[in-house]
Amino acid sequence: MRVLPADLEAAQEAVVRRPAYKVLAFDRSQDSISAIVSGQYAQEPFDLTAYCTDIKWSPDKLDFTLSDPDGLFHPDSGVHRAYVGNGAIIRLLEGDQAVPETSWIYSFTGFIRGQIGWNKSRRNSTAMAQVAVFSRENNQALKRRSITSKKYTVGTELGIMVRDLLSTFLGLTDAEIRLPATLGLQFKHQVNQIAQMAPWDAISKLLETVGKVPCFDGDGRITFIDKNLHRLPDRVLPDSTRILDYQVPARNQDTINKVRVISLDSQLSRVESPYQCLGNAQVTTGFFSMGEKLPVWWGEDKRQRASGTGLIVKKSVNSGLLPVGSESYREVDEFHGEIKVSISCWVPILATAMLVEYLAMAAIPDDVLTFGVGAEEGITIPVGRILQAQAMIVIMLIMMSMGSAQYEVWGTPYDYAYLELKATAIVDGLEYWEENEKEVKNDFLGSQDRVDALAMLELTWEVSNANPRTLVIKDDLALERGDILQLPDGRKFFISDMSKAVQRGAVPVLSLQGFKVMTA
Amino acid sequence: MSVIDWRINQAQNQMIGTIASPFYQQYVDGDSWVWACDVDIGQDEPLRSVPVASSNREIIYAELGKSVLLTRMNDGKWCISGLSKTCMGREHIIYMTFMDDLGSIARESWSGSLTRLLTLGELGDLGPGAFGAIPLGAHGRFAPDGTFIAILES
Repeated sequence: MRVLPADLEAAQEAVVRRPAYKVLAFDRSQDSISAIVSGQYAQEPFDLTAYCTDIKWSPDKLDFTLSDPDGLFHPDSGVHRAYVGNGAIIRLLEGDQAVPETSWIYSFTGFIRGQIGWNKSRRNSTAMAQVAVFSRENNQALKRRSITSKKYTVGTELGIMVRDLLSTFLGLTDAEIRLPATLGLQFKHQVNQIAQMAPWDAISKLLETVGKVPCFDGDGRITFIDKNLHRLPDRVLPDSTRILDYQVPARNQDTINKVRVISLDSQLSRVESPYQCLGNAQVTTGFFSMGEKLPVWWGEDKRQRASGTGLIVKKSVNSGLLPVGSESYREVDEFHGEIKVSISCWVPILATAMLVEYLAMAAIPDDVLTFGVGAEEGITIPVGRILQAQAMIVIMLIMMSMGSAQYEVWGTPYDYAYLELKATAIVDGLEYWEENEKEVKNDFLGSQDRVDALAMLELTWEVSNANPRTLVIKDDLALERGDILQLPDGRKFFISDMSKAVQRGAVPVLSLQGFKVMTA
Repeated sequence: MSVIDWRINQAQNQMIGTIASPFYQQYVDGDSWVWACDVDIGQDEPLRSVPVASSNREIIYAELGKSVLLTRMNDGKWCISGLSKTCMGREHIIYMTFMDDLGSIARESWSGSLTRLLTLGELGDLGPGAFGAIPLGAHGRFAPDGTFIAILES
């Protein structure tokens, strides 16, 4: 709710009110919207009040008819056409004649988009223009282009990022921001960034975490609508004096009765795959290779992680005749392990000794047996060759014992992934086919508690929205969209939209569209 | 507005799921086949026979329980287009009642399932026979409160 100066508040309470207003136009080429909103402008605004009739006001749009018999605002030739041209800034200043203008408030600030409709009729000799002014948030530049923000680390207040986005991508100065510096929420993820989103969507997404919706107020400053209905009323109507009408309009739409909120956990969760063969290795041993170290990686790209790994020997180095060595395995890190095959030291020693023996035995001469003196025939007795063959048998025995070995490493591969956090708030007692669901995705929530809270808030909001009400009261300049009114019977009324016709000499009748507040 | 939201939801073209069966050859006609598997998307019934996007070797070698990204094809069907860095978690369901102007929490529960390796004790208890009927490394599907739901094929 807008805080009014005390004298204007008192004037609104008076039995006799003398409401007054001014429609002011600013030439965009002379001052920026920032300068105008913050009151730092150089030009003298053009007062259109005398030319304006049939003024219709709502927070989003201001419509009026501009009487222009002298063609002052003709889009081609009007002397003052710059004040109603494309991009011209129009403000509605409202107050009461009983108080000075300095106490009046701006109830609308917006732009003219494109060209006004100007018409001169010979039939009734009138010249007039239809002017439609749109509020600042009705600007496609905020909603169509894509932005990428800088990164914000864990622990940063969300309000800081909101302010940065507002100043960097919306060009707002501090004077144009009516948002709290902090939202009471810190980032939970290590890296937080907005990427390829429209600026307005980015601001909306950040404010959504605390149940708020961005909008611009009558001054042209950015503020928010608070969806939290569990708060004190902004205005209490003690009696029905101001109330002119109270309606319960028909509503023929399905009601959202289920809200699902999805976010990402800020902590990575370990996701395991089935126990399986992670890798294999094979080795061919030799006499003189004392050992082999075989690295085994869990993935071709050396990035797969696994735990609980162990060696399965498909074919051992000792599967031959003699046990020639030992084999062992160790997990080096989460990405790979190492198989170590050690050949016993007696193998090369014995092999060497046998080779030496083989050579030495070759030098032993064989005995010769002849058959008598002068005999021409005889046989040799293979003393040396038997000893040689003995050495060869040992060498071959070692050779036959050694060969290839095959190994597999089994384990449980795992990786880390962000877990989805989900909460569903649903009206109790619904059958499955009665559910009408709305889904909200917001990765900035980061914890189950926040996801739960947002789901309940959104469901309460939707259920309340299903009970629309219209309240017609005498104009109250303090009221804004998002305010909660307490009615004389104690019920609460949430203002979601407003409209009125502004005219000279009469208290405007303010029509408030909204709904009955439910609290949870 | 609600209708527009519904249309947008219908038009969503990506979601995540968890592989819920081994990959198998799905014959789309008499001769040709594609790799496919069932995918758990958090509903009571898994999405059946979801084909793998062409030439995606890393997906075919993904195992049960792996989180995958599903993409809607032009004909409206879903296909597995890649591995996902996010995985489905449990869902906290809050039942609310609204009486007059006051809403309150009626009850709470959790939904979703958890896929994990069966422990040695479970291998003995949950199988059709004695210990050894279920192979070591088998995965099981459990409710959020730990209740056993099913053994996944592997």
